[in-house]
Amino acid sequence: MAANAPHSGPGQKVEQGLSSIESRFRKLLEAAPDAILEVDNEGRIVLINESADRMFGYTREELLGLNVDQLVPAAMRKGHNRYRESYTDHPKTRPMGSGLELNAQRKDGSLFPVEISLSPNWTQEGLRVIAIVRDISERKQAENRIRAIQEQHTAELAAKNAQLEARNREVEKANRLKSEFLASMSHELRTPLHTVIGFSELLAEESEGALNEKQKRFLSHILQDSRHLLELINEILDLSKIEAGRLELQREEFDFAACAEEVLAAIRNQSEAKNIRLENKNNFHGLLHADRVRTKEILYNLLSNAIKFTPEGGFVCLEAIPQNGYLEISVSDTGIGIPAEEHDAIFEKFYQVGDTTRGVREGTGLGLAITRKLVELHGGRIWLQSQKGQGTRFSVTLPLAKNTAQPN
Amino acid sequence: MMKRILIVEDNATSRELLRTVLEKQGYTILEARDGEEALQQLKQSTPDLVLLDIQIPIRDGYDVLKAIRGDERLSNLPVVALTASAMRGDREKALAAGFTGYIAKPVGPTQLRDEVRRLLGESN
Repeated sequence: MAANAPHSGPGQKVEQGLSSIESRFRKLLEAAPDAILEVDNEGRIVLINESADRMFGYTREELLGLNVDQLVPAAMRKGHNRYRESYTDHPKTRPMGSGLELNAQRKDGSLFPVEISLSPNWTQEGLRVIAIVRDISERKQAENRIRAIQEQHTAELAAKNAQLEARNREVEKANRLKSEFLASMSHELRTPLHTVIGFSELLAEESEGALNEKQKRFLSHILQDSRHLLELINEILDLSKIEAGRLELQREEFDFAACAEEVLAAIRNQSEAKNIRLENKNNFHGLLHADRVRTKEILYNLLSNAIKFTPEGGFVCLEAIPQNGYLEISVSDTGIGIPAEEHDAIFEKFYQVGDTTRGVREGTGLGLAITRKLVELHGGRIWLQSQKGQGTRFSVTLPLAKNTAQPN
Repeated sequence: MMKRILIVEDNATSRELLRTVLEKQGYTILEARDGEEALQQLKQSTPDLVLLDIQIPIRDGYDVLKAIRGDERLSNLPVVALTASAMRGDREKALAAGFTGYIAKPVGPTQLRDEVRRLLGESN
């Protein structure tokens, strides 16, 4: 504030001898936040306001009579001279150096960004130029901050995009590796099982000599458990393929009734072994639009589960009702039932219903998880109604072919 | 005359299983452990049927099949794909490539006998 000291008392000395109009204009000049300078045709500063000395860091005495070039950055001074001359040739009100980034220089040599408006002022002493100088440091700073933030955001976005792309490539690669792994795992596990099952069956045929009862029983254990192992391998492979998104449905239009008959025929020996009445109550003779092999797998899983959990002499029944573009297929049994609190968990992998599975352990624990996935891949639903001790009814929906007549 | 079957299989245990089952049926068994050996065998004599494992060393089953189908003398020879891979679509792929039949491991004696009889035109 030292620079302002000489006129910090509201300039009584200056005001003395000025007319009241001049005094009012003087006050107006001093009140302006921009620096206002008047320069004569030699480039000398002849009039300034308070903002000017504050802005440039000179005292008023130092500024008055100073060549205006001194306020121009040293590096630009040479050009400024020429510029000033050309202005005097075509004087009119306009911004100085429009489109350019202008800087001014303080007394201490430091630079600051400015906007300058120039106006000619014809006086008795000749043409003078009024320069209104606005310090735009703060605006520039704000602009720079905004630009820096924008650049940072752009850079962050680009980095995130690059990260995402890299992740995508990794996921694709991992998926491909998983598929390859599954294929080779399947092969490696089946190869030894092939000979275990093959030689066991060969021995069981007794063509190499008769077996005693105990040997036959041991051999049947080997066979039963190797077939169970094979089933597990197949189901784990299926489930992994579904979860890796690698299982593609081969949709076609096919006759549901014939498909159901095939499954019932294949499973009948299981029901007969337990003296369970297996009834086909299907009246639907239209077409499904689904993967035929997977539909059979769904039916097989539901029916074999029903038989598995139904006591000897029980009853298992297949029904199907078309509605809303889907066929609702239900398998009911007179089995041990499933308590309500386990209805959701039953679709999870390796889930075995609490004490209800006691004595029934030939399942892999994967059948229902796979069945649900297969149904959902078709866009269908699976649910169950059951009460402990009252039997269970599993239902699934599978899409009907477009032209299938809706009513039965 | 006894029909002759060439078994191309790198796994010795599996080879023994196939040989045991088929010899009992009265077939004469020839063996090869890889694709190269198989083609050598086929140069010397033509069997009535080839059981060809797909995953075998040196030249895989598809490669061997191509060589067989490319040879005029062997072009009508029944060749059965034998594989433990058994991914869905493998059967279709094998039949499309020109295999006469497809057997997925594990295969038990009954299925093996039936399939071989069928392919040799002996089924009733």
